[in-house]
Amino acid sequence: MSVRKAVAIVLAGVALAAPISLGAAVTLKLATQAPVNSSWHKALLDMGAEWDQKTSGRVKLTVYAGGTQGSEDATIRMMRPGVDQLQANLLMLPGLGHIDDAFNAFGIPFFFESDAEGEYVLQKLTPFLEQRLDAKGFKLLCWGSAGWVQLFSKKPLATLADVKNAKLYTNQGDDRMSQWYKANGFHPVALAAGDIPAQLKLSTGLIDAAPSPPYPALLLQMFRDAKYMLDVRVAPLYGAIVMTNDAWNKIDAADRPAVLAAAKTIEKRLLGEAPKLDADSIATMKSRGLTVTTLDPKAATEFRAAAENFVKTMRGNIVPADAYDAALKERDAYRKTRK
Amino acid sequence: MRARALALRAENVIATAALGGIMLLPLAEIAVRRIVSTGIPGSAPFTLNLTLWVGLLGAAIAAREGKLLTLATGEFLPARISGLAHIIGGSVGAAIAAMFMIGGLSLVLTERAAGDHIALNVPVWVSTLAFPIGFGLIAVRLALRAAPHWRGRAIALVSIVVGAFAALRFELFEGHALLPWVVGIIVAGVLGAPIFSLLGGIAMIAFFTDGSRPIVPLIKAYEELTSPSANLAAIPLFTLTGFLLAEGGASTRLLRALRALFGWAPGGTAVAAATLCAFFTLFTGGSGVTILALGGLLLPALLKEGYRERFAIGLLTASGSLGLLFPLSVPLILYGIVAQNVAIEDLFIGGIVPGVLMLALVAALGIREAIRSGAKRAPFRLSEVAAGLWEAKWEMLLPIVVLWALLGGYATTSESAAIAALYALIVQRFIHRDVPSFKEIVRVAGDCVALVGGVLIILAVAVGLTNYLVNAQVPMQLIEWTQAHIQSKALFLLALNVFLLLVGTVMDIFSAIVVVVPLILPLADAYMIGYVHLGVIFIANLELGYLHPPLGLNLLLASYRFKKPVLEVTWATLPMLGILAAGVLLITYVPLLTEGLLRVMGRL
Repeated sequence: MSVRKAVAIVLAGVALAAPISLGAAVTLKLATQAPVNSSWHKALLDMGAEWDQKTSGRVKLTVYAGGTQGSEDATIRMMRPGVDQLQANLLMLPGLGHIDDAFNAFGIPFFFESDAEGEYVLQKLTPFLEQRLDAKGFKLLCWGSAGWVQLFSKKPLATLADVKNAKLYTNQGDDRMSQWYKANGFHPVALAAGDIPAQLKLSTGLIDAAPSPPYPALLLQMFRDAKYMLDVRVAPLYGAIVMTNDAWNKIDAADRPAVLAAAKTIEKRLLGEAPKLDADSIATMKSRGLTVTTLDPKAATEFRAAAENFVKTMRGNIVPADAYDAALKERDAYRKTRK
Repeated sequence: MRARALALRAENVIATAALGGIMLLPLAEIAVRRIVSTGIPGSAPFTLNLTLWVGLLGAAIAAREGKLLTLATGEFLPARISGLAHIIGGSVGAAIAAMFMIGGLSLVLTERAAGDHIALNVPVWVSTLAFPIGFGLIAVRLALRAAPHWRGRAIALVSIVVGAFAALRFELFEGHALLPWVVGIIVAGVLGAPIFSLLGGIAMIAFFTDGSRPIVPLIKAYEELTSPSANLAAIPLFTLTGFLLAEGGASTRLLRALRALFGWAPGGTAVAAATLCAFFTLFTGGSGVTILALGGLLLPALLKEGYRERFAIGLLTASGSLGLLFPLSVPLILYGIVAQNVAIEDLFIGGIVPGVLMLALVAALGIREAIRSGAKRAPFRLSEVAAGLWEAKWEMLLPIVVLWALLGGYATTSESAAIAALYALIVQRFIHRDVPSFKEIVRVAGDCVALVGGVLIILAVAVGLTNYLVNAQVPMQLIEWTQAHIQSKALFLLALNVFLLLVGTVMDIFSAIVVVVPLILPLADAYMIGYVHLGVIFIANLELGYLHPPLGLNLLLASYRFKKPVLEVTWATLPMLGILAAGVLLITYVPLLTEGLLRVMGRL
């Protein structure tokens, strides 16, 4: 059998399998790394309940929380046309960046100074990002934030040199990010996000420091092994719920506004709760033995200076130039209105 | 015919190259990073993807050689039906391999459309080609080996078409009962279908009945085989180390050193033989390589010193699985990978005392036997000890170097494995010249990947099954059922012993770990059993399963190696089985044996 023939047969099989029922009830499967019973998980369940209610049961949602469907990379594979095992996903920035590089603009270290600034740029760039997602076959339903990324480590870190010496977690699946870290003198170890807690726990684990917002660090009990937090506020960790275009098109057109409205409701919740989650999580972890180190002014200047040099090399490499420039433009515009 | 021979050789050379890649890339990365901060771009993801190729090509080579792992039951079918059983087993295996080939093809296609890269602009889809190629070769080879005549092969070849058709029209299964298929596939497994097809077939059809496509288990397989935290590279590399050492004179040199050390004491040679077997099993995973490689050397040595043949055979059969609890043991690594939440180093440390206990029990029988039968003793000579140790210095240094790198925190598990393999390669190729040429290296590497591929392919398909079972909440139900029926921890442990013994007699140790560990872990949590302790219980029990009649693998291998009927070997091994069973019970009920050392070192 020739390859061409084999391909044709596979495609024919795929075509035969595609259900042609439009307008009927749809059940959507959504995966997320967010831990079971976390505030994110609860928000998703509420959103599903609202979909069910507002569409009289025509749109149903099953949520697989806690990474039970695999890493972000694997769940994105499960959403591709011709796979269709999952139809929706609450992805964090690394996963979104896997679908489209432009999202990496929000992961640039020390790019934003406040939640207001980050959210301003987020909303301004949404149409641009929606367009890029659409080209890849996805629809953006809503945003969320998991709080500001801090550095959790097994040994205390205070200076940039300390951070460079640590075996630092980076997300697998994007070797350019590993290369970028290495080129700047860090020691990155690429892993799936779900492996962070176990690898921190093990006495000779693959990593000894991991960037993470406080809330996941608390829920996943990372702080029991990584007992030190360097308060550096690297960047806000945004996430988004995306749905496959195929699934979106299967939803009755009349039901779509209600589906989107429910998603926007939890967007307000997820973005609004983030600062309080950050503060509460740090307080809880402190009471259970976490040591928080604040950057002394000298180290802070050192971090910012270094970061400015580092991030320039991200443009056109990790972050596409147009996305980088657009984000920078909006951020500076926001800063002008404030001054 | 010439073209065919060339193609087969090319297959082995490619597999060897992939194996070489996973050995050299991580080491080169360490070296290069000292000079250039960026190191080798993509060295980590490339290593992981090469491991995937080693697994799939290795499995294809195993299928070619008829070495895919099967349930032990196939060996015991009456001659009357064994021909038919072979055709059924081969056909079902081929059909299921064809389903995975279709799933693999669609993985390649969707990856091509998505356009992701591993690193350096090498697309992911190129790596995923390993699946359709590997499973396609396996399907054809299983069909061709299904019968000695073309009528039988034709049936099996048709089954490939049936399997492919089923995978393309997966929606025909949706909403239908799964159970009849499960029963059918298990029957085929008992009749001799390979274990990967048993697990993979159930997973595949289970997904179909849920409306999922054949690509789904393949996505899971790709994720597992290239997962950085699992980092499977350690398995092929430690196995390669064992296979290289099993070549040529390493065993003779080590035996001389051990006899010089122990030969003066009553039972000294028996102890030396058992220790040597443990050393080899450590790397090869008790896959029987020990008995096959060392049996011919050790049996005459024991007989010459006046040990009874029955005892000698029993000792060697039992010793074939003794090393599994010692540091660097491949089954311990695999347990660590599957269990996830446990450090492999902790397993190594936890296994030391139980491993020594098992070895000591066998040695005790050896000493008793030596006193009874009046076996000869060699006088203790310091010069002979020095000469023996000096001759075997390279082999003896190997575990020390690797453990130093690993436990000292200088290298990860897979990097230590790369060091071990490179060390063994240099010693065997250039110092002792036991592996005299590149051609010989390719042959040894081919044997190694055939074994490793047989294991990795089971792991690849089993993740799909595990995922299905977890989604169906089977482990939860298992916990509820067990807790409702078994109240005490002691009783649970006893039930676990019996269960694992049964598993160990029908399945090889690798398959057993991959299939059973994910189901048992939540139970261990419920009964508050530590993961390290559980791992040691697991391996110790499976060790015992190798010796348990009627299906224990070591019994079959020893019968083959020593050319004795299975019944005679079983009879000879009974005393060993008894004393090791006592050892397993001790290990099970005295957790301190496992955890003591870890506590002392402050790791628990």
